[in-house]
This record gives sequence, C-alpha cells and structure tokens, in this order.
Amino acid sequence: MTRRVAVTGIGVVAPGGTGATAFWDLLSAGRTATRGITLFDPSGLRSRIAAECDFDPFDHGLDPDLCQHADRYIQFAVVAAGEAVRDSGLDPGGDDGWRTAVSLGSAVGGTTRLEHDYVQVSEHGSRWDVDHRAADSKLHLAFQPSTLAAVVAERFGARGPVQTVSTGCTSGLDAVGYGFHTIAEGRADVCIAGASDSPISPITMACFDAIKATSPNNDDPEHASRPFDAHRDGFVMGEGAAVLVLEEYEHARARGAQIHCEIGGYATFGNAYHMTGLTTEGLEMARAIDSTLDQARLDPTLIDYVNAHGSGTRQNDRHETAAVKRSLGAHAYDTPMSSIKSMVGHSLGAIGAIEVVACVLALKHQAVPPTANYETPDPECDLDYVPRTARPRKLRNVLSVGSGFGGFQSAVLLTGPGGRNR
Amino acid sequence: MITTEVTVDELAVLMKKAAGITVDPQELKQAAGSPFDCFGLDSLGLLGIVGELENRYGLSLPPDSERCKSPREFLDLVNSTLKAGA
Amino acid sequence: MSTQRTQRPRRAAITGIGVIAPNGQRPDAYWKSVSEGIGVLDRITREGCGHLPLRVAGEVRSFDATALIEDRFLVQTDRFSHFAMAAAALALDDAGLGSGDPAEPFSIGVVTAAGSGGGEFGQRELQKLWGQGPRFVGPYQSIAWFYAASTGQISIRSGFKGPCGVVASDEAGGLDSLAHAAGAIRRGTDTMVVGAAEAPLAPYSMVCQLGYPELSTVEDPDLAYRPFTSKACGFVPAEGGALLVVEDGNRARERGVPVRATLAGHAATFTGASRWEESREGLARAIRGALDEAGAAPEDIDVVFADAMGVPEADRAEALAIADALGAHGRRVPVTAPKTGFGRAHCAAPVLDTVAAVLAMEHGQVPPTPNVFDICHDLDLVMSRARPAELRTALVLSRGLMGSNAALVVRRGESAR
Repeated sequence: MTRRVAVTGIGVVAPGGTGATAFWDLLSAGRTATRGITLFDPSGLRSRIAAECDFDPFDHGLDPDLCQHADRYIQFAVVAAGEAVRDSGLDPGGDDGWRTAVSLGSAVGGTTRLEHDYVQVSEHGSRWDVDHRAADSKLHLAFQPSTLAAVVAERFGARGPVQTVSTGCTSGLDAVGYGFHTIAEGRADVCIAGASDSPISPITMACFDAIKATSPNNDDPEHASRPFDAHRDGFVMGEGAAVLVLEEYEHARARGAQIHCEIGGYATFGNAYHMTGLTTEGLEMARAIDSTLDQARLDPTLIDYVNAHGSGTRQNDRHETAAVKRSLGAHAYDTPMSSIKSMVGHSLGAIGAIEVVACVLALKHQAVPPTANYETPDPECDLDYVPRTARPRKLRNVLSVGSGFGGFQSAVLLTGPGGRNR
Repeated sequence: MITTEVTVDELAVLMKKAAGITVDPQELKQAAGSPFDCFGLDSLGLLGIVGELENRYGLSLPPDSERCKSPREFLDLVNSTLKAGA
Repeated sequence: MSTQRTQRPRRAAITGIGVIAPNGQRPDAYWKSVSEGIGVLDRITREGCGHLPLRVAGEVRSFDATALIEDRFLVQTDRFSHFAMAAAALALDDAGLGSGDPAEPFSIGVVTAAGSGGGEFGQRELQKLWGQGPRFVGPYQSIAWFYAASTGQISIRSGFKGPCGVVASDEAGGLDSLAHAAGAIRRGTDTMVVGAAEAPLAPYSMVCQLGYPELSTVEDPDLAYRPFTSKACGFVPAEGGALLVVEDGNRARERGVPVRATLAGHAATFTGASRWEESREGLARAIRGALDEAGAAPEDIDVVFADAMGVPEADRAEALAIADALGAHGRRVPVTAPKTGFGRAHCAAPVLDTVAAVLAMEHGQVPPTPNVFDICHDLDLVMSRARPAELRTALVLSRGLMGSNAALVVRRGESAR
C-alpha cells in the first residue's frame, strides 16, 4: 500500500525567531542569528559561538511542570508541535488518536540536562562512583531518549506508533522520512513529525572542539557560519526544533485542510566509509537523491531548489556539491542550492526538520532562502549558492539533503502545487 | 629545561593508545615517509594523538599537525614545535 | 535493488542470529540457559556501582570484546556498541554473510534500537571535561556516546551502504526496529542487520535510571523480578542484546540458506508513561494490528512471549490485553517470560525475546519463566521447566517505560502466506 502524504501544518523554534513567520523573516532577510554563547560560560573552549534561541517557555503557554522540569529540547518540540497542529487545524487526538503517529528526531536528546546533573553527582568530575543522592528524581526523563516523542504524543493525544529517531545529524530528515513511511504504508493517517535538539552545552561543544569541526571564529560570530565559501572554517552550533503535521492526502482533502505540499519521496543510505569523514565523490548522498526522485518518478531536471546540508566544514560542502552534481548532472548548475545553517547554525538532529520546514516555506513564498556570508567562491564548490539575499523563483519540486556522523546520507523531496508527483 | 623530543617509539605507543593501531616501531621507523593511511591511522586517530601531546607538553601544536600525511612529517613538525617552545 | 526477482512477495526472513546476553554469548548457549530456565541475575559488579541502591541486574560477564572486534573500533566505541558489533558479526556469520565486502553494498542496511546510549564512555569523557578541562575530551566522544553509534559502526565495519536507521526508544523500540527492517525489505532492500544492544550498567547511567518507579531494588536476585505473581516488585535491568540478519525470503532461497523464521506482522501504539491500566487497550490493539498484518487468527498463536514488566498493574493489564485480543484462546495459549532469568535489557529485551521465540519454534519447546512459581493472573504461564509443543507462530509483546506498546508475530521457517 502506498498512499500520498501531505504536509498540512508546520511549526518551528529557531535561533532568531520562534514561529514560522519570524523564521521566514530571518531567512528571507539573510540575517544571521549566530553570536557568542550566553547559555553557559564557554571560556576554555576553542569554539565559543553558537546560534541560540531566545526562548522562554513561560511565553508559550506550556504547563508549569513542563516549564520547570522538562529539558529545553522537549520544550522546543512541544512549542513547535503546538504551532504545527494549530496550523493544520487538526485535533490529532480527537477523532481517532489511534490513527495518529509521532516521529521525532534528536541527535543528543537530554545530554544537556544529563551533563548538568552529572556535575552535581560527580562533584565536578572528581569521582567515578557518582553520588545518586545529589541527582534529580526526574533524571530518567533526560536519560530516556523516547521522552521526546512521548511528551509530544501525550500532549496532542496521539496513540498510534510513537517513535524517537536518532541518526545523528540526519535525525530530522529521517524522522520526517519515517513519518512519511508510516502514513504511506497505512500505519497511521496523521503523523506529528520533526526534530529537536538543544546541544549548546559544555560537553557537546567540547566534543566537537576535539575534532575541530566547529568554527573558531570567535571574534566575528555573525559571519562565522560560511557554507560553501572559500574561507569557511567549520560549523557553528545551533539549537531549535521544527515539527510538521503529515497527513494522508485524502484524509486532508476530506476535511478541507490547507495542503502546503506533499512529501514526494525519502531515502537514506550509509556511506560505510567513516564515522565523521566524507568521501570526495558523494556517491551515497547521490544515491539517496536518486532514490527520492525515483519514488516520485521525477526527472532530475525538474528539481527547482536544493536545500543543502551545507554545514560549512571543508569536507562537507565539497562532498555535497559533488553529490548534487552527480544526481542532477548539468542541471545542478542551473539549480539554486543554499544552506540556512549560515543563519541559524547547525542544531545537530533538529536541523534536518528545520530545513524541511524552510523548504515548505520556500514553496509557499516561491522564494529561495540565501546562503548568508557567502563571499569568496571555492573552486571545489562551483554551484549557485544564492549568496546573501533571498531570490524569488518558481518552485515546484525541492530537495532537502543531509549528512550525519555514522556516515548517514538522507534526502527528502517536497512537491508543491503543480509539482509532478507520481 | 631539557629539550624534549617525541620518538618513533613513542609515536607507536600513542598510535596504539589513541587509535587502537598496533604498529611495530621498527616498521614505523623504516616506513616513516609512508602515509598514515598505510598504518590504518585516520584523521580522528591523529587528532587524538595531537590532543595527547598537547596535554602532555602543555602547549598547542600548529593546526598543520593534524593534517600531516606521514609519521616523519608529523614528528618533524611536533619536535620543531617542542624545540621552539623549550 | 527494487527488481522483482521472483513471483513471491518480499518478506522479511530471519537467516542469522547473534546474541550477547547475560545468560549466553552465542545463540546455542543462550538457548541452553533459556530452555533450562537458568537464572543469572546477580549483584552488580561493574566498577563504581556497588554503593548504588540498585543492586541486582543481568550482567554480561567475561565478555571479551577483543576476541571479536578490532582494537581500532574498540577505542572509539562504548560497551553498548561492542555488544552490538559482536552480535552483528555473529549474526552475519550465522547467515553465511560473514566474510568479505558485500558484492552489492547498497543492498544491505542496518537498523538498531537504542535506549541508553554510550553511557560508560560518556561518563569517562564528562569526568575528563569537568575534572581536567575541555582539552582533555577525546576525539571519540562525538561518535561514541550518541544513540546512532552502533548502526554507524556496524555499517562501516562491514561495508553496508543500505538504509541505516536508529530508533532511540523505550523497550518497545526493539520491536519497532524489526518493523523498520521488514519495511526496508518490502521497499526493496535485500538484507538488513537489525536489533539492539544496551549497556546501561555504568555508575551514572544507573543513577539516571533510579527514578523509574518500575525499577526493582530488591537485593535478593531470586526475588527481585517476579512478574505475574503477587510478589511482583518491578523489573530488573540487564545489559547485552541481539542482532539478526533479516533478508528477503526470495534472496535467502537464491542463496540457499535456511529461513529460520519470518517477521510476519507488527503494530505499535502509545498509551503514556506508567499508565499501565491504559496499556491494556494499547497492547490489545497492537496485538490485533500485528495479527492483522500477519494475516493470522488468534488461534494461530502457539506461544506468547510476554512483556512481563513485573509491576502488578502492568502485569494485570498485559494478562487482560492477551485475553482481549486473543479471546478464549488467550487463556489456553502458553505464555512465557524467559527474561525473568536474566533481566530486561531495555530496547534489547524484546529482540532477545524474538530470538528466544525463533529458537523455541526450532526446538519445539516453550521455555519456562525462571523465579516465577505462583501466578495471580488468568494465564497459562509456563513455569519451572520447558514444555514441549509444536510451535509454528509466536507472538512477542513489549511495552516501554515511556508508554509504547508493541506486538510482533513471528512464524517458523518461511511463511506459507
């Protein structure tokens, strides 16, 4: 059984603005939300910059318990899901909660909270035999990764398959992809799908310091995230969440819902090469792109925009450029490809879903978000990266791609009204 | 202060500790100009060795150190940095 | 990849099994313990854990990772990935896929479930960060602690480029991972390496689990985990896990390897953390959904591998769910919970149950439920010793601490349907 899958609602919590409107304002203006870290004292770190969300849970009508006790990434997800559900006009638990699924991704889950409590129980890292008496009684909720999907399912009355997906930096794309499969194959009619992460913490910043993956451009944080630019020097950490309401197409039509676009295809492959390294050829990402096009029976020349992973590391941007050229051929040179990580940073597991929402908005506004800070071309990255300012364009079929530690390469295809789908 | 130097033998020990690579120091000495790949050492392994040395000697090695292609190139760079530091 | 080779529909056939469990580090050793009802729950001996109020668990002892995994992988991975990589290697050997690079790398994928991540590795690096400073955090923290580590490492170690996935989940996620593998096979991937392994017995990981109201803190290993009895006092955690090789049945036939069992149906629902009474309806619906997908009637179920949470309300809900979904057959069908002998290894628990189900069908025996002698629910729970029976179809149940309910129908050999 293969059924069509529509996007009927979106919500986002991103650096620089909460909500789809503020998010699109940031992207279309080419504004960057990267800055010096304020969430903790980053002294001693190599990279001390990040794209942080100005987020107060009390501003969003969350229960006091969620505001006070839930991890930040859970709060992001609940707020983004709330916006998406409102946008869809659905009452997901109402008609038949058993036919409503949840598929949410996170790369590092509750690690920020886990680290916070670790410091207490270990007396600042001085003992291996940690003292449980200093731990919070709700710590298991940070330890348990499925807390993310469970809290969202509880809140919106979903009783169908509820899953948390954790494939590192492709978690967001994969969570949307799992949601797509869940509906296409008939396991649910509605799926709350997306991802959330709040990884701006000492241990996560330090672990990326250790492999020099993050930008050390601490003196100029606004311009530190420079995907595809010749002077790029690593990614800038981010945080946030995005959630989509996915819905079986006829289900959405029957209730007269707005249909933002459809999910035309999804695929993921491993590169079986290296946990953090990427090949120069991009064969596996190209395979993921090809597979999504196959599923939608879409010719590569009908792709109007590629939302890149574009992390701003030397190897990623080269890899991805090669992959897109491999899949789209000569059409790659006529296809705008941009990275919103230049503006909102790289929020690990969340970013894939945030980028899918950016694509939904791009289709809605018929405009391509830019790559901020792109100034100096790199001979190895020779595509059209939409420098600095958004560009109006007729968009029907757009791709969002991602790479993650573990070697994962994923792609999601969105088809707007007038896009060719099956 | 005594001039310190990282030897091939020490590099072999570090390769084991930081990257789980077993290499005979004699072989490492003889093939010191061969790429690290030949010994199975990848970029993360080399970063681990750089980190170990930086912490051991309390100094920063130049960014080029983790991009060195061979044991010889790496040891030359590390030892000239240590010498300059001393 | 998606070429139709033969007329038969694509179906997920189990052709390889790898186990690293507290009660056995090979499928045959595991089956010996399971079928004989040997209990291995014991005092926790992992370093730095002795003072914690959680005293009893199922530990994988004398596990020699170096015998199965190269040092260069060991230095960059946590114990949970060691278990997973070792179990994957055993499963691949069992399926006759153990040697050399795959001829078609994109035709083999990997999916694992993970509920506790690389806790021991993570604690060591946290200790370096907070005890010594950020420069002492090593380069492998970024790839060892996260839930995706095992899937990534198995894919890289064996050269598998097919679909890679990770369900980061509560216990029921173990069954969800099997459903993911079955889905990938239906969609065109030939072979999936799938399962879960966990290592939650590091000091800080254990501290993190103490808040679960369902956790048993009873200190006598024989009394700590007794589901379905009036003395039920929670569950005992465990480490270890199992990985399977699952492939399209047509492919297995072409390769000439025996199909040990078929993943015939799966369904999952959600009824909320610790709301055990409500899990009755959720679990019953999952059972019906799994039967439906398998095209099986309640009477077709020859044995049930229970979730067996060990919490009175949860046990009652499970017993009632079995009755609700299977009707009168629910009171006659043999039910078992071998995990009372070695603990619940989080996401790996239902995967170990699935392995036990396959082995039970192969041996024609329903294994017993160790340490459980006197139950207070209307179930035919197999106790004391294994019961011989012709077993063609098994039902595996799992519920998670965060509220997931899942059911899996497994058929012996290649499904006739």
